[in-house]
Amino acid sequence: MKKVILVADDSPSIRKFVSFALAMKGFEIISVSDGMEALEKLPNGKISLVITDLNMPNLDGFELIKAIRNNEEMKNIPIIILSSLAGSEEIQKGMEFGANSYLIKPFDPKRVVYEVSKYLN
Amino acid sequence: MKKVSNMSELFERLNDLKVVFFYGQKFIPIIQSIIDFMSETVPLLEDINSSISDSTIKIPKAKDQINNVTNATELATTEILDTVDSISAEIGKVENDLKTIQAKEEERNIIWNQIKESLSKDSNSIDLINKYENLDSVTSIIPRLLQVFDKTKNDVNNIALSLQVQDITSQQLASVNHLIESVRQRLSSLVMHLDETEIKDIESLQAIIPDTAAFNPEAIYTKSKEKQETADILVNNRLKKASQDEIDKLFS
Repeated sequence: MKKVILVADDSPSIRKFVSFALAMKGFEIISVSDGMEALEKLPNGKISLVITDLNMPNLDGFELIKAIRNNEEMKNIPIIILSSLAGSEEIQKGMEFGANSYLIKPFDPKRVVYEVSKYLN
Repeated sequence: MKKVSNMSELFERLNDLKVVFFYGQKFIPIIQSIIDFMSETVPLLEDINSSISDSTIKIPKAKDQINNVTNATELATTEILDTVDSISAEIGKVENDLKTIQAKEEERNIIWNQIKESLSKDSNSIDLINKYENLDSVTSIIPRLLQVFDKTKNDVNNIALSLQVQDITSQQLASVNHLIESVRQRLSSLVMHLDETEIKDIESLQAIIPDTAAFNPEAIYTKSKEKQETADILVNNRLKKASQDEIDKLFS
């Protein structure tokens, strides 16, 4: 059975790009445009990993990570941050909130595949 | 005696009045020049007011145009990515077919070698075998084709990587729109001070900005790996610290 990855990013081109990189490796992708939508999709128990942007409308990436880590059923889902925010403050904050990896945009699709494989293989 | 003192007081006051008139005469040209300056400045201020109003009215249009550019590039990028995705999938299929052929050819070779061995005593067969082996076979082309596909896949990957510029520029444009909106608000308040009747017109022309807009004004498109390397160092330090904390917790 294909493993399902949830991609949360307000940019349609980035959602498409991540899907492009991961679908080739046999993963199923569910994409959403903000943190709120991500929280609606998450509780179905199918999601194996979350890739999230930080700057998103309605609910940003930090709040999404916090919500996942505070939920008993979802707290162990690996989270990869994918953001153009490259300051050490944001990186440290993201990791403190509970992210497992931090990738900076523009990113190499091979690196995304590598990071995902680290947690899902 | 009191009358004399009243009179001298009166003269003193008159003298003061004389001084006031004397200075007044001196001030009249200055006051006149202030009035002249004001009468020249008021039309100028009105001109400035009308220019500001005009500019403020045009700002929402500029913002709409920026949004249109972002939407158009986003649509184009998504379309290109769809095509890249489809090319990539086709390459993947052909690559798999070639690998299957290559595997079958290897099996065929093993059997071929067995045939050669069993016919090794027949000189006529050996001649035919040599002639057959000198002909080009598909097997020799397959590694070269696989190499080409590998390079094409890499190029497709690079196209997709370069297309991320759209996301970065859309964030930069969102930041410009945000700045334009700040300028518009300042100009509106300035016009409000200069001429209150203009406010309603300007307020009604506000561009609709989604309150959900989220962007990074410092987003930069670069292929340098420096930022990712710095992020990796920070992440690894953090992870090391976390695992050490977990070990400490176990033994505390």
